[in-house]
Amino acid sequence: MLEDYRRSFGEAYEAVIRTIRQRGEFPTGRLAKSTRSIVEKLGRESIRLSQMQDIAGCRVVVANIMQQEQFVASLKTDFVGASVIDRRDKPSYGYRAVHIIAMISGKPVEIQVRTSLQHRWAELSEKSSDVLDPTIKYGGGPAELRRILTKSSEEVASYEVLEATHHKFETECSEVVKSKEEAVAAHEKSKKAVAKLLKRHLPDHEVRRIQGKMQGSTRELVLLEQDVAELQGNVEDLTRKMVRLWNLNADLLAKAISWLDKLKGKKQ
Amino acid sequence: MIFLIEYNRREGRIVTFRDFADSQRREAEDLRLDIELVLNHKGVDHEVVLLEAENEDALRRTHQRYFKDLRQILRSSSSVISD
Repeated sequence: MLEDYRRSFGEAYEAVIRTIRQRGEFPTGRLAKSTRSIVEKLGRESIRLSQMQDIAGCRVVVANIMQQEQFVASLKTDFVGASVIDRRDKPSYGYRAVHIIAMISGKPVEIQVRTSLQHRWAELSEKSSDVLDPTIKYGGGPAELRRILTKSSEEVASYEVLEATHHKFETECSEVVKSKEEAVAAHEKSKKAVAKLLKRHLPDHEVRRIQGKMQGSTRELVLLEQDVAELQGNVEDLTRKMVRLWNLNADLLAKAISWLDKLKGKKQ
Repeated sequence: MIFLIEYNRREGRIVTFRDFADSQRREAEDLRLDIELVLNHKGVDHEVVLLEAENEDALRRTHQRYFKDLRQILRSSSSVISD
């Protein structure tokens, strides 16, 4: 009976996979949740089988938070009325991702959208749950490992905030650089035109007017250069912060490896 | 491609790994059910799952936990930026 129920999600699942592929992504699909996972979830969350929203589903891992935003927005357009569970700001025991529940002919299909960093964290948490303690995924397990996982999840979140700001500044910076290049080209053109005009022995007041305009244009260029320098400074500053944060996270994960070694030592 | 994985969670290792063409979905589902019934009969607590991915590499990227040990996952987590 359970098998028939699982198989009844086949068409909805196919429709979701097809749509996502049309967006140029190749998700890994789970045709149907395993019996063990279904039984565990039913016990854990005291829900009915018909209320379970992730019998069928798929996972898409994108490079970064900007791509995640973009992809989630496109899924909202593709699956109008879909529920969006955003676990980035309110993580579930450290788990951060966006889950979209698309309803196709009354059948829910879960689409997990993770960034590469969110995904690595989730894999770490799941594997720890597998081999160390099944309660880790739900806030249990050894205190030291929980502390490391929680801290690591927070650091990934902070990193992604910096990453988004970095992207914003980079975009702004390239726009200002483009404006500056256009202004420089216009300025050079004006300079040539002015040089020609000045050869015509214009009246003094006309020469002063033209020279005033050129000085104004030069001032604008200087201001644009200052804007570019400021934005480039912001981008560099953010890059340094991101590297620092990343090193902290790497240190934290190295601690987790040491902790594992100690655990292994105790067991032997 | 469709992949059938029987996974021993406690030991963190794959027990059975089979791949199927997309056209063999029914066969894959039947085998998954057969394995689950046998495991249930024997009282063996393994996870049996059917996954569909572009290829095995893609599957290994999105479902590392089946293929790597905890230490490998920790190492790859700390080097993700340079990936």
